[in-house]
Amino acid sequence: MIGDQCPRESDILEAIAFGRWPDGCRDLAAHAAACEMCADIVEVALALHDDREALCRAAQPPSVGMVWWRATIRARAEAARTATKPISVLQAIAGACIVGAAAGLLTVVWQSMHWMDRLGELAVQLESRRADIATASTFATGHGLPILIAVAAGLVLAPLALYITLADD
Amino acid sequence: MRDVALSALDQLGSAATDSEAAFQMDEEAFRTFYERTARPVWAYLARMSGNARLADDLLQETYYRFLRANVAHESDAHRRNYLFRIATNIVRDHRRRPRIDAPCVADGHDGVDRMDPQSADAAGGAVRRLDLARSMARLKPRERDLLWLAYAQGSSHKEIAETLGLKTASVKLLLFRARRRLARLLREGVR
Repeated sequence: MIGDQCPRESDILEAIAFGRWPDGCRDLAAHAAACEMCADIVEVALALHDDREALCRAAQPPSVGMVWWRATIRARAEAARTATKPISVLQAIAGACIVGAAAGLLTVVWQSMHWMDRLGELAVQLESRRADIATASTFATGHGLPILIAVAAGLVLAPLALYITLADD
Repeated sequence: MRDVALSALDQLGSAATDSEAAFQMDEEAFRTFYERTARPVWAYLARMSGNARLADDLLQETYYRFLRANVAHESDAHRRNYLFRIATNIVRDHRRRPRIDAPCVADGHDGVDRMDPQSADAAGGAVRRLDLARSMARLKPRERDLLWLAYAQGSSHKEIAETLGLKTASVKLLLFRARRRLARLLREGVR
């Protein structure tokens, strides 16, 4: 039946493993010549056993000191990466907060500028102290873009400065 | 901010120290274990990957994963089987990766069979080993693993099952088929 073992299989494997095959076990060799299953076992086990012996003889594995040292370095690097993860997460959260605050501030500035425009229009309608208010409104509208750029630049640079400071530490 | 950075540095330092403590054995115990197992594991990796240089890298990876694995071993044999299990998984992972480098393994001209001076002077032995390499290359990876563990490494069916993640009952049948196939290829003298 497929997968069945010959009762002498373990004896043959032992003889091959201990280098007694075939001279040290003539009866087993005779059995293997007659038994199809054992013939396969001998063919395969002898080839693999000899191959392993040759490979082990020729093997030049890295020295134990090198393997240990590399493992230690790698473990340290991994530990450092793990330890810095929370810091990176905190930095990302801080950055997101700053961006959110910046967006909020920009909205407020934008709305206040509209409010100033409306104030100017009201002033025009009322025609009281027209010249002064119109001048103020023109100033705000005319200088709005530079102010916006300055605020935006500050908001972009602030998290960068924060990051660089932490990285230097 | 400086306090935060200093505490982060402290954390880094302690993590580095912990990394050594995280190894499952100290250097002395590892030295003994490595001296006993490195050559057989290297031979296994070299034959399964078919590449001697690659076997060096895989060996390093095998021992690293072994050291990092926090597993209690009942016995030395268990520890050794566990090491072979890691090695098997590493070779499997390597096989799944797309090949961008690498001399191919399949024809047996892989560097593994040209480096043994003792077999070189015994021409018959060298030819047999080359035949074996070619025949093994014709087998499925799992068949190669099974045959090596059973007949080169001398592992029991139970140990093979643990190493390869198979049922013990399946090992017998799979081993029978793999053995028959390899025996036929060796007799035919695959070229």
